[in-house]
Amino acid sequence: MKLYCLSGHPTLPCNVLKFKSTTIMLDCGLDTTSVLNFLPLPLVHSPRLSKLPGWISKDGSINLEKELKECAGRVFVDSQPEFCLPERELLDLSTIDVILISNYHCMMALPYITEHTGFTGTVYATEPTLQIGRLLMEELVNFMERVPKAQSATCWKNKEIQRMLPGPLKDAVDVWTWKRCYSMQEVNSALSKVQLVGYSQKVELFGAVQVSPLSSGYSLGSSNWIIQSHHEKVSYVSGSSLLTTHPQPMDQSSLKNSDVLILTGLTQMPTANPDGMLGEFCSNLAMTIRAGGNVLVPCYSSGVIYDLLECLYQFIESANLGTTPFYFISPVANSSLEFSQIFAEWLCHNKQTKVYLPEPPFPHAELIQTNKLKHYPSIHGDFSSEFRQPCVVFTGHPSLRFGDVVHFMELWGKSSLNTVIFTEPDFSYLDALAPYQPLAMKCVYCPIDTRLNFHQVSKLLKEVQPLHVVCPEQYTQPPLTQSHRSDLMLELQPPPMPYRRCSVLNLPFRRRYERVYILPELANSLVPSEVKPGVSVATVSAVLQSKDNKHTLQSVPKAPPVAPSKKRKRVMEEPPVTMAPKPLLSGAVPLEAFLATLQKHGITEVKVEETADGHILHLQAEDTLIQLEEDGTHIVCDNNEPLRATLRDLVLRFLQKL
Amino acid sequence: MDSQCVSTLPRVCGVLLESGSSLPDDTSLEKLLDWFTTIAQTGASLLEACPCLVDFVSKVAFNHASGSSILSFTLKLTGLIGTSEDGFKVLKECSVLKLVFNPHHWQEAGLWGDPCLRIGWIQGLKMILQHSEALSFFAQEDLIEPLLQLQTDSSLFVASAANQTLAQVLLLCQSLSSVGHNCSKNRYLEHNSVSIETTQNYSGIITRVSEYLNKSVVLKEISQLPGCQQILRLLAMLLVQVGPPLRDTLLLAVMNSLEELVTTSCSQLTVPLMDVILAANSGLRDDFVPKQRLIRLLWVMLNMKKPAIVMQAAAAVLHSHHSDPTFSAHSARVLLLPLDIVTGVSLLDENSTEEELRILITEQLKRKSCISMICVCLSNIPQITLMASDHLPCPQRLIVTAVLMLLRLCCVDSSSSSAGCVEVVRFITGNSKVQKCALEALLVLSKSPGVKMVLVDVFKVLTEYLNSPSSDPSVLQKSYQAVIKWVGVCPDLSCITDQLREGFIQAVRKRACDTRWEARDSTVEFLGHLGGAPSCRSFTEQETEPSDVFLGGCSFTVPLLKEALQDPESYVRASSISALAQTLTPSWQEGAALTQEQEDIVTRLQEVLFQDSEGFARRAAVKYFIAWLSACSSPSSCWLLMQSVPTVLSQGVNDLDWEVKLHTLELAELLLDQAFPDPSPSHPYAVMSDQAHRLHIAGHPDSRCC
Repeated sequence: MKLYCLSGHPTLPCNVLKFKSTTIMLDCGLDTTSVLNFLPLPLVHSPRLSKLPGWISKDGSINLEKELKECAGRVFVDSQPEFCLPERELLDLSTIDVILISNYHCMMALPYITEHTGFTGTVYATEPTLQIGRLLMEELVNFMERVPKAQSATCWKNKEIQRMLPGPLKDAVDVWTWKRCYSMQEVNSALSKVQLVGYSQKVELFGAVQVSPLSSGYSLGSSNWIIQSHHEKVSYVSGSSLLTTHPQPMDQSSLKNSDVLILTGLTQMPTANPDGMLGEFCSNLAMTIRAGGNVLVPCYSSGVIYDLLECLYQFIESANLGTTPFYFISPVANSSLEFSQIFAEWLCHNKQTKVYLPEPPFPHAELIQTNKLKHYPSIHGDFSSEFRQPCVVFTGHPSLRFGDVVHFMELWGKSSLNTVIFTEPDFSYLDALAPYQPLAMKCVYCPIDTRLNFHQVSKLLKEVQPLHVVCPEQYTQPPLTQSHRSDLMLELQPPPMPYRRCSVLNLPFRRRYERVYILPELANSLVPSEVKPGVSVATVSAVLQSKDNKHTLQSVPKAPPVAPSKKRKRVMEEPPVTMAPKPLLSGAVPLEAFLATLQKHGITEVKVEETADGHILHLQAEDTLIQLEEDGTHIVCDNNEPLRATLRDLVLRFLQKL
Repeated sequence: MDSQCVSTLPRVCGVLLESGSSLPDDTSLEKLLDWFTTIAQTGASLLEACPCLVDFVSKVAFNHASGSSILSFTLKLTGLIGTSEDGFKVLKECSVLKLVFNPHHWQEAGLWGDPCLRIGWIQGLKMILQHSEALSFFAQEDLIEPLLQLQTDSSLFVASAANQTLAQVLLLCQSLSSVGHNCSKNRYLEHNSVSIETTQNYSGIITRVSEYLNKSVVLKEISQLPGCQQILRLLAMLLVQVGPPLRDTLLLAVMNSLEELVTTSCSQLTVPLMDVILAANSGLRDDFVPKQRLIRLLWVMLNMKKPAIVMQAAAAVLHSHHSDPTFSAHSARVLLLPLDIVTGVSLLDENSTEEELRILITEQLKRKSCISMICVCLSNIPQITLMASDHLPCPQRLIVTAVLMLLRLCCVDSSSSSAGCVEVVRFITGNSKVQKCALEALLVLSKSPGVKMVLVDVFKVLTEYLNSPSSDPSVLQKSYQAVIKWVGVCPDLSCITDQLREGFIQAVRKRACDTRWEARDSTVEFLGHLGGAPSCRSFTEQETEPSDVFLGGCSFTVPLLKEALQDPESYVRASSISALAQTLTPSWQEGAALTQEQEDIVTRLQEVLFQDSEGFARRAAVKYFIAWLSACSSPSSCWLLMQSVPTVLSQGVNDLDWEVKLHTLELAELLLDQAFPDPSPSHPYAVMSDQAHRLHIAGHPDSRCC
């Protein structure tokens, strides 16, 4: 069993598991942090960005004025942003049989894997994962295609040139493999390969293994996966949460008794308590609005935003923010808000019960009804006529490199009354803000990451007790900035197996059993004999047929009768000699009884020696040794075959024969 | 009304007798008992006032059909009647007393198992134990045995009441013995001289109690642990209440057992054992033998291999204000060890005798129990700071540095690391218990000499706590208190840099919008306290208000407080009104011109008085005007005040909340005092006002603070 690690990002994993004869890709995360090296894509012409000076090396030898721009001491690529894809050289992606998706954030690289690689398999995901994942992809494509950039910068990627660039561009890895965003057509094609599954539904893969999604409690439709054969069980734990937010709670008990547990997607903010952050978010928001400023919340169009809106629903009245408009701007804003209300079976119990009441599960519906929350596909159109300040705007993309957020950063960045509140933990806020410097606007970092923290995960692992744990190497040491926090890492016995991008791990367990079916007629012919109460054994001679990973024992076909020969005189061919099979022996030789039997047969001088594995009997007069061990008996006597045979028969008296 | 009650009492007794066990709620009985107690306390004879009670008591005593609540009530009532010697005699004569307080009587009736009855028995007994007659009865009937049995009763309420009653018995024995010894004229003697036989009875009781304690303070098997803990608590209580020579007798009786108990090194017994030692230690002469044995006990405990016991013993030494300075110094070193180990700040010099303890404590700190150990260390810092500086193991300034380091390590957002024990960090990070204890210690340490050096660090750490999203509201409150305390002791705030001030302002502004009302309330309270803090010097060597230095003065504070007047939580609204009064008091005293802002506030306060559904806010609003009227140098020239006071008076007097009414009266009284400054006795209202004033202060000590 092998695990190929195609992504080094602990929360955006992409691993391939070879188990029995199947090749299973676990998640398909897209590392979008590469876009932080690019200039933002403004929706309307930005004089500031267009006036940024081009970059020329200090000695003037390298001139990349057109490709690279300098802003506040950092260099950015002026081109369509590109993403860092999962590794595609480690194994042939066309051999992948299935892709299991755990949540909508972990499927963003799907078109890169399923299209143009020869992939012919199936993708399995839950319905909310597919629908919301589609929204996120649509949004990404929309953000990119709305402001097309003709220029594609490639010179800077030249190894010799990149070496000369200032950091962090200099340190970016595998830049040649970075790719521009996919098209809508590729998205549709990729998503057409998705087959929907429900929690605990068992899907057979070629008869070899069974896969089944379990609720992971992190987002709508998010799942962990169980991959099991008859005798082995591998659990794949991706983004999971034990907090009571909107999704169905995490199913922990089904993870028990795993041989291997692959653990990814822990919180990226182990020191930030989501409740504290939510409180921090609300108080900073209220503080800004009271002072007459605007609040910008760069966020994804699905996920934490539902919880933020729910929290604000309770907070705005108490904080006297009733008259402040809240805007949610995204090409998929409307669908996102509405989808969340219809996936009743995927919600937490509390929200599920609301489905039977007139009120919708999420309170954002009421905010929309009362006109407190308004949503628009973009800043163009209706929004511009209804826009009122001070206000709160939720919009993407959280990297601040594309989407409507770029416009608001340009618009509000100059005033210290305004605040940008970062709630998504995926991007370093300082890096995200780098191309907007100098910035007067206040910045608050309240990353809300509800995924498991180290304390919760150690408790979980104690409960489910997997034999082996595999995890990203980042989880096996404390964070770099907090090297003294030994509690911010996984400490397990046996220690977890760490992986990094491009690792190939031999998973440390050996398959020892295989299930074999036996046909009824063959079963009928068996003669079982009981070796101990409740356990019977029988010998079987059969033909083993293996097809579609199912093994069946069938009766040996009888040899066809020999056709009568015309030549009578011809000597009949001798039928093949079939030796009667030797009986199988079982049982143990009891020492006292055996000695008594030996005595009966005239062997009296026996010296018994106890060994680690049993006994050695020295028949002194016969100069013979009998070694009685747990799994074998040896009779050592030189050139005395009759004695050996006698002794053998005496030993055999005590053993059962099949 | 009393006479009406008395006339209906026979019928009430009749109903109670007939009710059997069908009384679902015994609160009416409690009320009845309260009424009898009131009668008895006025000095009147309860039996004279309510003659039917004896008949009631005897009927209940002979009739077991009554429910346990009525039986319990009757036992207490019997006790109440027997409190007076006359009543006691009557009960004795009609042989009710013997029956009622005879446990066998109740055991035979199968009622003793009910804790309700047992508690009635104990409380009744406790009530009669007021005079020598009762004590003689107690001795003759050998009631000490059942009382001792109840000391470790399975019901905690019964056991606790039994403990109290035993203390009462001993106190009575003691007072009567001293009377016997002194032969002074006393009311006990006047009525009933203390005979030799009685004195023997008393000493018999004391001997029996001593034996009992000696026998019970043992721990041979773990099942005895709860009983042993209970007895130690009893012993501590007795040693606190009784004086010498009885205390010395008890102490001598249990000393051997205590010494044996200490050798068991059972950590669950450490705290009650310490309470006993502390209780015994106070007031004993140094040359008294048990005292020296107690000191030896403490030494034994200080040298044990169990860090938890050693720490508790060290704390006990410091709390007992021991006269031996080496003893105290050693204890202080022990208590500071965890802080030294955790923070890596060298508080203690190398000392080979502590090396072993250091290893033991370091091991302990790697476990979750480190929390309680660190808290013991921190909560004893006040005692350590009281020590003479030459006995302290290190300058107090270093202790402040260590506490600050600990606070940094506890803060979730801090990336500080220490040179100390790394393993402990996982347990203390974000632990609000340790954070609170450390902030408490920091509060006390503000008085330490030479702390000016660390002033900036203190304010930095406190700002970090105020800013941290993970800070619990109680931790925020403590942080605010620490800021106030440190501002109060700091003669010079020139160290407050712009950056520090900016960070502080941001934190306060954010907390004023916190989602948790407790955090908002603490913030608002803090603003008020800072507004009322005394002036100090700033950069320019001029007298400055701390709120100016920290928050830029009223221009920052008042709008924030005005906003808090709209808070959905009534506590916060009330606190913001009080804080506004505190903040504006200086400008009222100076007679500064009114601002538009103040006019807005008055309008809002009148709205509060008229519309606010919660009493807290309305009370605070009236107190705001009291504060204004008291502080205003010339009220008559302040039109807004003069205009609003009549409205407040008319509204406040009609308020349904009695406290609002009370404050309104205070306001009226203040107005009268100011209108008639000369306390001329000829003016009838002035006299009235003065009396009312005194009454209010006596009845409501906090009613004057706003």
